[in-house]
Amino acid sequence: MSKVSPPKYAEKLLEWVLHDELAEEVLGDLEEQFYAHADRKGLRRAKRNYWYQTWNYLRPFALKPTKLTNHFSMYRHYFKLSWRALKRQRLYSSIKIGGFALGIAATIFIALFIQEEVSYDQHYKDQDRIFRMINVVDAPDEKSKWSHLQAPIKAVLDSDIPQIEQSARFIAFNWYNAGDNQFRPQGTTQSVYEKGFAYADPELLEILEVPFIYGNATTALAQPNSIVLSKEKADSYFPNQDPVGLQVILNEEEDNAYTIGGVMDIVANTHLQADFLLTLKGKEFWPGEQTSWDSWNYSTYVKLVPGADRQQVEQNLLAIRDTHMAATLSDNGGESAFDLQAHFRFLLQPVNEIYLTPAEELHDSLLHGDRKTVWLFGCVALFILLLACVNFINLSTAKSAMRAKEVGMLKVVGSFRSDLIRQFLAESVLFCVIAFGFALALVALLMPYFNILTGKTLELPWLDFWFLPGFGVLILLVGVISGIYPAFYLSAFRPAEVLKGTVTKGKKSSRLRSGLVVFQFATTIVLIICTVITYRQMDFILNKKLGFEKDRVVLLYGSNTLEEGQQALKDELKRLSHVEQATISEFIPITGATRDQNGFWLAGRRELDKSVGAQKWRVDEDYLQTMGMKLVQGRNFSEAFASDSSAVIINEAMAREFGLDDPLGAKIVNSFEPAYHVIGVVEDFHFESMKGEIRPLCLVLGGEGILMPLRLAGSDVASAMHAVEHVWDQFLPNQAIRYRFMDQEYAHMYDMVQRTSRVFTVFSVLAIIVACLGLFALSAFMVEQRSKEVSIRKVLGASLMQIFGLLTFNFLRLVVLSLVVAIPLGWYLMREWLDTFVYRVTITWDVYVLAGLIALAVALITISGESLKAGVDNPAKRLRSE
Amino acid sequence: MEIKHRILVLQFSSIMKETRLGEFEEVILLLVGILTDQAYAMKLAEEFEQQSGRSVSIGAVHSTLERLREKGFLTSEMGQPTAERGGRRKRLYRITAEGQQALSASRDLRMNLWSQFPAFSGQ
Repeated sequence: MSKVSPPKYAEKLLEWVLHDELAEEVLGDLEEQFYAHADRKGLRRAKRNYWYQTWNYLRPFALKPTKLTNHFSMYRHYFKLSWRALKRQRLYSSIKIGGFALGIAATIFIALFIQEEVSYDQHYKDQDRIFRMINVVDAPDEKSKWSHLQAPIKAVLDSDIPQIEQSARFIAFNWYNAGDNQFRPQGTTQSVYEKGFAYADPELLEILEVPFIYGNATTALAQPNSIVLSKEKADSYFPNQDPVGLQVILNEEEDNAYTIGGVMDIVANTHLQADFLLTLKGKEFWPGEQTSWDSWNYSTYVKLVPGADRQQVEQNLLAIRDTHMAATLSDNGGESAFDLQAHFRFLLQPVNEIYLTPAEELHDSLLHGDRKTVWLFGCVALFILLLACVNFINLSTAKSAMRAKEVGMLKVVGSFRSDLIRQFLAESVLFCVIAFGFALALVALLMPYFNILTGKTLELPWLDFWFLPGFGVLILLVGVISGIYPAFYLSAFRPAEVLKGTVTKGKKSSRLRSGLVVFQFATTIVLIICTVITYRQMDFILNKKLGFEKDRVVLLYGSNTLEEGQQALKDELKRLSHVEQATISEFIPITGATRDQNGFWLAGRRELDKSVGAQKWRVDEDYLQTMGMKLVQGRNFSEAFASDSSAVIINEAMAREFGLDDPLGAKIVNSFEPAYHVIGVVEDFHFESMKGEIRPLCLVLGGEGILMPLRLAGSDVASAMHAVEHVWDQFLPNQAIRYRFMDQEYAHMYDMVQRTSRVFTVFSVLAIIVACLGLFALSAFMVEQRSKEVSIRKVLGASLMQIFGLLTFNFLRLVVLSLVVAIPLGWYLMREWLDTFVYRVTITWDVYVLAGLIALAVALITISGESLKAGVDNPAKRLRSE
Repeated sequence: MEIKHRILVLQFSSIMKETRLGEFEEVILLLVGILTDQAYAMKLAEEFEQQSGRSVSIGAVHSTLERLREKGFLTSEMGQPTAERGGRRKRLYRITAEGQQALSASRDLRMNLWSQFPAFSGQ
């Protein structure tokens, strides 16, 4: 039998918190009852009762007096007074709270967004020693930065630079098997289309400290033809199983199977996003590739030895430029080598900066956030919060007449000014606390929509240690910022004047209030301007003439597993009435598709000129027609000309770059192949994001690979795809058809722009609401104050319109003033943003007219309700009380 | 005007003692009278539960007792230690003359009201 005695911890608790002189009698009472209960009802219920009684002794009268309770009761007093003030003015209080709640909710959303964005790549043990190499060209006629280097660089880094502990190369763009593939485990028959393949050196796993579930970072990619799977992919192909040592087949290449070397568990917040890593160990993509300093395909990571100085290493790296790279160039011609030494250098980019450096800056085809967006959103959140603070300040000072007598009385009975200041600050903090509750509810409710908006998977981190304290600080901060001015303003009233009734209807602060209203509306108008312009830019991008027809093009994936049979599939599909044209080529004008950058020279000028960098796209005869591209000169490829195997079609940009007025028949060369002769010039088309210029590009014969774009004949997409699928199933019964639409892929490129535009819309609506809440309350207050004046005017014969004009004119004047402030600001901000696009809309004056009209209309609607009410009220009713 | 009023009440209450009797206070006061020399918090709580059928915590009773003592309706003294209390003493409460007065004033008021209540006026 267990010992019958009261619960020890309850006794301890009582001894700890109870008034000393009470402890004896209380513990005695409880113990007496405890034994009585234990006898009658059993030990468990007796214990439970003891606890119940203990909790019920936690009452003010019984607790030990402490300094804390002293303060506590003082603050409780403050909050009680605040609560009464809050209840007395329900309308104004709910507007203050509503504004705060919206502001805080917006801040929470954006704070979570920013927190997620800056959390990328912050988890490495050796954070400050991990870098990616960047190339910089800083010549008078050319400024560029990019992140890809040549294949032999790794060996040189490892042997020549002692400060480098480890180096590794990485290929994440579409290149050979990097990108997407048909994938199946050895021993199964059904290939599945998978994305997220990348090549990596074995050392990359160690440098980037990739955690492993099976296998380990040192050995996982150490053997030639090894592959590492992500946890998700391993789980779906090899559930509950250690797949290390098993083999997988890519693109039905049975003779080139890959062996699984490990299963990695990449953390979510890193720029390294890959589901399949293929080893670069022992890999050579074409004969001589690994020793060539001519092709730039490898992102290169280095880990420095502890204590190494980054600038010093960057300096040492120049030796590589001067020896290996210059040597290759001087083989080609002295001029280039000289340029290289004068203008080219390496930089080391800290690993945690990779994610927030936009893709356009370094052309590295990785997943990126954008610093600018982070800053922009941060500012927007701050401004909405400030708008809410402004509401609070405006309403508190406007309503000061209501509090003046209270202040006077309190001073008469002996309050110090500091007490009053504390009282008013407590009041604003109380408002914030209540608003915070609403804000959290709002955030929890709207989180799914916010995630759709931003394309993220955020949630409220209730359990994170910083979350509640962090927002506690935020509440205090917001409370104090918005409470400090009213507190000083209100506590300054002189009791004698106030109680005599001579003083203040809040006039002194009306200039400040006007200023704050201007601030609110200027902010709102800037946001409206941003919304309109981002929206227009998006519209411009989606509807611009691109130089190709993106509509009705279907991208068919995976027919490369047919090898020789791919051509037959294409011919069969072309025979369908639904299909106008078909082509085989991996090169499509969508960012992230396969690319091949080459240096070109006019034949015979290789030793003399600098090269022209250009894309070389391998296509077939039907490519131009399928993509809807136009020839401006010359002819398309044709089977009739056997010599077309060395023919090339260049774009206008390339012709310009070579300075060719009549490019037809010109011969051009690159470092690898025999000369090409130009047979045609294609109209410039956008093949990358509109943020960059259209660069030189040429098309040659030799289309192959995973992609088969089709141009559909009619608008009946459903039946067309049905027919295509029917043909596909005859050719590839074991492989499900997979396709996407090019217009959707194209729109996908601008997701970020679209998101920015949508986020602006949402937050400018929020800002408008907050500003309108404030304006509404102010106008209601003003109407209330001037009600006698209005009534007398009416009695004397003023019309409704005159009254309405009288009451609204002041506010409308402020809105117009805001417009004057906001327009230059909005123009400046949006010019900065548009500058990131080479192809962009111009900012026209109608944007400002639109923004001004919206602001005016919204303001007018907001204040007209109260003004009209005052105008139509029966004056007798309002004047009767006198 | 509302504001002035509130502040006056505040001032008032800190100078003068509150002497009204709440319903619960009245019952507890009566129970103290009934239990005479056994009137301590735990006993009172149990007695209340038995007589009224409502449950109450000892702490609630105790805080009421203290309040009544502050109003001058009760006095208290420590009793003898007993074994079932772990050798601790208990605090015994007794009604004061003022307490008696307050109770009878309250009863008189009720009787007076009851006598005017038409449904029972015939009795």
